[in-house]
Amino acid sequence: MKAIRYAVILLALGTSLPAFGQVPYERIVKAESEPANWLTYGGNYYDQRFSGLKQLTPQNVAGLKLAWAYQPSRPAGNVETSPIVVYGIMYVTEPPSTVTALDAHTGAKLWTWSPILKNVVAIGLFQTNRGVAVMDDRVYVATIDAHLVALDAKSGAVIWNTVVADNKMGYAITGPPLAFNGKIMIGTGGSEAAVRGLLDCYDAKTGKRLWRIWTVPLQGEPGSETWGDSVPAGGTTWNAGAYDPKLNLVYWGTGNPAPDWNGDARPGSNLYTCSLLAIDPDTGKVKWYFQFSPHETHDWDASEPPILFDGNINGKPRKLLGFANRNGFYYVLDRETGDFVAGVPYAKQTWAKGLDAKGQPIVLPDTGPTPEGNLVFPSITGAINWTSNSYSPLTKLFYVDAREMGSYFVKGTSTKWEMGKFPMGAGGERALSGDDAYGAIRALDATTGKMKWEFRLHSPSWVGTLATAGGLVFSGTDEGNFFALDAESGKPLWDIYLGSSLRSNPVTYAVDGKQYVFVTAGTTYFVFGLP
Amino acid sequence: MIRRCCVAAFVLLASGAVTQAQIPRDTTPVVAKTSPADIATGKALYEANCSKCHGLDGGGSDGPSLQGVAQRIGDEAVGNIIRGGIPGTGMNGFGSLTVDETGQVVGYLRSLGNTADMEIAKGDPTKGKAVYDSSGCAGCHIISGEGGGVGPELTRVGAMRGPSYLRTTLLTPGAILPKEGGVMERGRFTQFLFVHVVTKDGRSVDGTRVYEDSFTIELKDATGRFHSFRKLDLCELKKEPGKSVMPSFKDTLSATQLDDLVAYLAGLKGAQ
Repeated sequence: MKAIRYAVILLALGTSLPAFGQVPYERIVKAESEPANWLTYGGNYYDQRFSGLKQLTPQNVAGLKLAWAYQPSRPAGNVETSPIVVYGIMYVTEPPSTVTALDAHTGAKLWTWSPILKNVVAIGLFQTNRGVAVMDDRVYVATIDAHLVALDAKSGAVIWNTVVADNKMGYAITGPPLAFNGKIMIGTGGSEAAVRGLLDCYDAKTGKRLWRIWTVPLQGEPGSETWGDSVPAGGTTWNAGAYDPKLNLVYWGTGNPAPDWNGDARPGSNLYTCSLLAIDPDTGKVKWYFQFSPHETHDWDASEPPILFDGNINGKPRKLLGFANRNGFYYVLDRETGDFVAGVPYAKQTWAKGLDAKGQPIVLPDTGPTPEGNLVFPSITGAINWTSNSYSPLTKLFYVDAREMGSYFVKGTSTKWEMGKFPMGAGGERALSGDDAYGAIRALDATTGKMKWEFRLHSPSWVGTLATAGGLVFSGTDEGNFFALDAESGKPLWDIYLGSSLRSNPVTYAVDGKQYVFVTAGTTYFVFGLP
Repeated sequence: MIRRCCVAAFVLLASGAVTQAQIPRDTTPVVAKTSPADIATGKALYEANCSKCHGLDGGGSDGPSLQGVAQRIGDEAVGNIIRGGIPGTGMNGFGSLTVDETGQVVGYLRSLGNTADMEIAKGDPTKGKAVYDSSGCAGCHIISGEGGGVGPELTRVGAMRGPSYLRTTLLTPGAILPKEGGVMERGRFTQFLFVHVVTKDGRSVDGTRVYEDSFTIELKDATGRFHSFRKLDLCELKKEPGKSVMPSFKDTLSATQLDDLVAYLAGLKGAQ
């Protein structure tokens, strides 16, 4: 029965296409040459979330209509998935760790796979999943109980299932794997459970671990001098990484030190927390690192997906990396060397006077958590959180969904912690009320961070942005609007109310020559196209 | 089109706020500590931890009134709520407070209840009901199924709001506006916010905000009619905290009538 359905789909796609879901690494490297497909979490290895599709334009986007909608049968949590689309098949995830293949023309379910989950430990995070990776004829997913699983793209059958880390200790995975050149990389969450951060690389064929980077040292190891006498913990790697095939470097951000809001027991910069790591994937060695927020106490993980792009600095072509940090600053780094190029706030921040010549923050006094609660911008959830930004090589703009919100940061009295448990009494926040917070889609000059335009949102959003060659930027609101803006001017061109908060990065793809746009709202997956 | 018909009611409890974690707690029963020193400490703890949602005098704000709550449901039950929270609501657990500190907070709440009782005792609730009936209140408010739904439903208003809060609201209706129960990350928006809009074609509408997103706003006017606007179609959108569609009763009620009305409303506790 299933075989017949696949045959029908393949027929519908035309006979000239290769086998179902075959995506060799060499094709993913050149993802921009086949914009009909969305081949990685961020669309390409540079994580740009830019599509070369031009069918939807500022002139016609107002005509978008619902093409189909899909609702998981038993969604257990927030839907935050960003799909991969290959030859008319869309691979989505459902909370907490289910993978489903959908017919991208119709939304029909082709297969679904769910792990058996028992007594899941998820501390300081929602039980959700943000997406899969696809390479060759396999779909790779990581689960909330910290397994990495390879599935057959045609059937959802398990090829291998590897335990990344012990979920009972607090390791949990919500982010997407990165698949490239025979390797699968994956990070984990768990900083609020005070786990020791790690980043792993596995053999794509067998699931055997090739190497592991610990993001924080053991006591006595190099780097432990940045932790005082405390046992280093945190620095988790819970979001997506990017890859530069020419430089053969992987870029991955790390999260907060633990426990977070009371840093008294860990004097020092707490390496490599709140940092970006550039890693040689053949050796598992860190080539360079850049720490954004030394001795972090506000939960400002540096976990946002980095965006790689090429640009001119002082007239010279440079290989660059753009990073909108949860701490409120936009950074431009040289992605070959890790050198700081530029950095400016892209949202209100009250904790730093600015950045010095090396990109290190000039921290203002009295901006840490206090027992009574200290109002600091951005909020505990950051000027951005897990959502992805986009970069258009046409406009050379970096599109960020900025969250303009503060928190009263509360410092607890305890610096004690135990791995696998929430650090009781370490502190937390009281959020500023909604009337005093808002969101904005901002277009930044990618090489300087200078804002070209903004489009204000009623409240801080959790959606991410998508840029297209047709001259559009798509994003959404926490209230439930999905919308398109003019990529050059920020002018609103189209919007629709979807009835619940949008919590996923939009993507675009084409089947049978027709461009579609995907987003989720509440627990429904929506696809829009021109009639 | 009406997307969300918000039946206006004083907020019961802010819903949807996500606590960082459920904090395991010492299960020793909480007993109110009522020495002057304990009450002074309880007051300081209350003001630091509770007043933001429940008001400085415990008379309710975003959260319900706590005046007299210990007298009604007992010290231990109040202590359990303080330490454990109410899952699914905006009431976080305050597990960082020790059992003794919680007892001091409960002791302070008892003293607040006594103060409120004295204020309520200034009026006659039976006469207050007559004031309510003759002042047109039921044109806009529902009590036990009777009345109109323009303004907040008042069947349990005495459990939600203390007498001083009620008095302030009758005199200056927009003075204290509660926050809606918002999604954690979105923050909590002011309810009953007075908004003045003017459309590009010259239409002017005043009303209470019942819904707003990045592209639209929905108002309820003083007659209870809903108006939906796309923000791009407006030339003016003015939010006026402090104002209200409800008139002030400052000049229409005597001091005695006001005391009576407050006593009546403060006694509306609904089905317990």
